[in-house]
Amino acid sequence: MALLSMLSMIPFALNAATAETLAADAAQVVDAVAEASVVAEPTGFGIVLDKIEYFILIPWVYLSIAFMIFGIIYRLVSIYRAPKTPFSLKIYSSKKESPLSAWNDTFMLPQVRRNKPFFWISLMIFHISGVLLILGHLDILPTISILSEDSKHMIGAGLVGVGFTLPLFHFLFRRFKTPIREITVPADFLLIVLVLFLALFGDMISWGNSWTANGFITTKQKFAEYFQALATFNFENPRYYIWSPHYHFLVIHVALANLFFMLVPFSKIVHAFFAMPINKLRRK
Amino acid sequence: MADYTAVKTFDYKGLPCPMPIVKMSQEISRIAVGEVGEVLSTDPGSIADFPAWAKTTGHQVLDIVQEPGLIKIYVKRVK
Amino acid sequence: MDLQQQYELEKLFKTKLHQAMRFYLETCTHCGLCVDSCHVYNSMPELRYTAVGRSEVVRKIFIKYFKMQGKIAPWLGETMEMDEFVLDKFYEAAFSCTGCRRCMVHCPFGIDTQQIMSIAKLLLVGADKEPKILSMLSDMSINKGEQVEESRAQYAEAIKNIEPEVEAIWPTPPGKKTIPLEVEHADVLYVALSGKHSIISAAAIFNAADINWTLSSFEAVNFGAFLGDPQRTKKIGNRIIAEATRLKVKTVAIVECGTAFRIMKQQFGKLPFEVVTFVELIAKYHQEGKIKLNKVMTEKVTYHDPCQIARNAGVYEAPRYILNQLSDDFVDMIPNREENWCCGGGGGLVAAGDFEFRMKSSKVKADQMKKTGATVVATACENCHSQLHDVCGYYNTNQHVEFISHLAAQGLAK
Repeated sequence: MALLSMLSMIPFALNAATAETLAADAAQVVDAVAEASVVAEPTGFGIVLDKIEYFILIPWVYLSIAFMIFGIIYRLVSIYRAPKTPFSLKIYSSKKESPLSAWNDTFMLPQVRRNKPFFWISLMIFHISGVLLILGHLDILPTISILSEDSKHMIGAGLVGVGFTLPLFHFLFRRFKTPIREITVPADFLLIVLVLFLALFGDMISWGNSWTANGFITTKQKFAEYFQALATFNFENPRYYIWSPHYHFLVIHVALANLFFMLVPFSKIVHAFFAMPINKLRRK
Repeated sequence: MADYTAVKTFDYKGLPCPMPIVKMSQEISRIAVGEVGEVLSTDPGSIADFPAWAKTTGHQVLDIVQEPGLIKIYVKRVK
Repeated sequence: MDLQQQYELEKLFKTKLHQAMRFYLETCTHCGLCVDSCHVYNSMPELRYTAVGRSEVVRKIFIKYFKMQGKIAPWLGETMEMDEFVLDKFYEAAFSCTGCRRCMVHCPFGIDTQQIMSIAKLLLVGADKEPKILSMLSDMSINKGEQVEESRAQYAEAIKNIEPEVEAIWPTPPGKKTIPLEVEHADVLYVALSGKHSIISAAAIFNAADINWTLSSFEAVNFGAFLGDPQRTKKIGNRIIAEATRLKVKTVAIVECGTAFRIMKQQFGKLPFEVVTFVELIAKYHQEGKIKLNKVMTEKVTYHDPCQIARNAGVYEAPRYILNQLSDDFVDMIPNREENWCCGGGGGLVAAGDFEFRMKSSKVKADQMKKTGATVVATACENCHSQLHDVCGYYNTNQHVEFISHLAAQGLAK
């Protein structure tokens, strides 16, 4: 009931807004949507939904990040507690090697660049975007200012998200083709699909923020309040300070992110942490 | 004079490593149990290889005769 | 397969789980960049002949028995139960892989398929399903180590019998033995193979350079490594280490045999002597002016980088240096060095593999050799030599294969 009433509010709000800004352009109309939205107290099923959404936005974020950190430590410790490899597994490069060779192998993928240039471009765009995405999210915190705090954009103004998403489509579609198709297991598809949806919801938010004054869901400054609340362990319900009609999209994005965090140590994403030590084996 | 006659000659002269032993293992079945085969080899390594092979596989090296440029090994199939 | 055997194999698997192996088994992202690396796949495009195809068979067992994922959601990784079928898959994977490690060069993480295959090989030994010829050869090598004293006199006679062939190439320096045996404090212990071809050219070169060297009683090759049995590998290698230590030599020079060289150089940790491949010594003696080489080669020559000497042990330039002293017409294969295609005979395949498979899987090698336009293919590995000789015949490449040491011995000059 509450959900319905919330949804039914939107056309009224729109009407009111359009009445006030008759001469305004489309962007401003959308801006006004967010401005005109009011937080309605949930009732009925809305109470359950609110509780679920609160759990997703606050406690689960802590739990999943803690789970991720302990998981990564557990994985690394369990490997380093295994017996030391008693011999060298070096591969000899015919080019001059430096102490930085393993770094170059890990971050520049020189062999991929030489043999599969198109895939290399895709991989590089994806991974660089991934790093920028992490920075972009940290930038939302008021204490970290890569872009100015009153900028309405995330880093890249939505482009970083696209740089992250398009290669994901490439990664997904190449798995439909022989011979990659045959080496793919269900976990590979599920992970790509999860990350793809996570990215698409993120794109919606960051692009919306770039195109309109008040953001697709809400402004970057409002997100900063949410991030600040997370950083200061303020357990207040975010519904009351970042509410917008598109609030649920944010919740879905965060829910997918939480799932992702929990999977990091126990899926092949762990390669983010293993890539360096394993590449060193090839060079020492 | 030795108290055996070779019923078959196995010519393994000039083969690359580890072919003399590989071939011997496969071709020993061409003579019957109890029969003796004569192996011709040019490999100095055969001198120790064949007795070690015999010990591993349960066959028997009866004698090794050396001539310049040729080694003759007499092998008895035991099983 | 009963539970007891499954348990025994699981225990055996566990002995292989050192740090590097854990990284190799836990990092693959199924990106497929290794697919095109394998010469077998390039000659016969089937998934089971790719690095990832081979490793996955082992990885699925690993996830099933050693990871939480295999216990709670085995379907995620399509894991398999250890049974006879899996062991057949292990056999197919491990003994269609030559351990050339070309895929390791192309993997963005550097996952070593040869290492992963060593698990499959060990489990096959544990299940008594290994290629019997390899375990027999390994045991033969070990037995040879135990009874070497019994044949010492006859071995010395056999060596004496081939000395005239060495002297025909190069006169022995006055006061020296043509092929010295059991020389303490020698500068070089040369470890050959059983065949006289592996001794004669080398002896002539040592004598031309007037080196204080001695010949080993053992063959260099380590069948235990082909078999994938670490204990036998150790026993076989230890024969040579014991001999070198007893004779107090400075350097152990390994005959042109890739496996022998790499195993001795990399897998035995720190040794009280230096390990080199004989090809490095030839180049060194020439650079130091101890030997002279004439440009005796009239045919166009190319060089096949043996995987275990080049990519896996770092000897790239010495053989090329020697060939350039012997010929004005040296041309590299494309690709070469760490990107070179494997001959197709490594990993024990020449000894134990099926001939048709060895030939069919080397199509890409035959094409690569033909493209050079050379009539001589030089190499520095007995295994590669045997395999490439067969490949040249099978594909009618009109090329002949030569050892670097033989070519160098022919080019020796005053």
